[in-house]
Amino acid sequence: MSWIWKQIKAEAWNPYVAGALFGVVVALAPILTGNLMGSSGSFLNLAGLIEKTVAPKLADNMFFKYIWQLGVNWQLILLIGVFVGAMASAMFSGTFKLSSSTSQWREIFGPEKWKRWVLAFCAGIIVQYGASLAGGCTSGLAISGTMLLAPAGLIFTAGLFGTGIITTLVIYRGRY
Amino acid sequence: MSGLFSALFFGFCFGFLLNKARLTKYDTIVNQFRFKDFTVLKYMLTTLIVAMPIVYLMQGLGFYTISNVPNTYIVGNLLGGAIFGVGMAIGGF
Repeated sequence: MSWIWKQIKAEAWNPYVAGALFGVVVALAPILTGNLMGSSGSFLNLAGLIEKTVAPKLADNMFFKYIWQLGVNWQLILLIGVFVGAMASAMFSGTFKLSSSTSQWREIFGPEKWKRWVLAFCAGIIVQYGASLAGGCTSGLAISGTMLLAPAGLIFTAGLFGTGIITTLVIYRGRY
Repeated sequence: MSGLFSALFFGFCFGFLLNKARLTKYDTIVNQFRFKDFTVLKYMLTTLIVAMPIVYLMQGLGFYTISNVPNTYIVGNLLGGAIFGVGMAIGGF
């Protein structure tokens, strides 16, 4: 019992161990509940729900009528769980702190805090646009999709790593 | 309603394991693209190695039929992935 408690308090686990445990979780989700573990759709859902309350006329469009069903669904609750789970893990290990950037980030982009916020915001838009276009994100397509042997997952992963490597190459240049 | 509790449980496990594997950090994600830190690949590929046999074994034993497989549109998936990669490398998430 004390061994388990020690592991929960550890700062980080071996990625193989965490990955194997996540493999069990991600496989059991569709078997037990019938839902794939995706998270990008929940942001779309959340934004749509906000739009519907703030500007109902704007939300009354073709997309939310025929393509996307708005509502508090399984994946939206999943996202709340992700937030709570990650925070619990950081609090148990005592690494929880509010910070806007890491030292490696400051080395490349400079010490300004607003820069990180602006870049993170823009990156968020890019990521969500790409995920909506592809029909999923790293967890929904690359992991859950590939697990079900959907070609979509493999194609998505290829695109992701291709431009990810090129973008980092451009950003880091000599320090790559 | 039990469905929503299960979502909370699965989400909790997801977030907990991501944090324990250091995948909630900018450095880990970007250093994968720089080939300095292979945590992302180690995590993702072990996940697939463990998850695939479970899914297909359960299907073979008749406990589960594979449904709602993500649709494949080659151009959409590839372009979406490419755009996603740019954002992931800038933001680190």
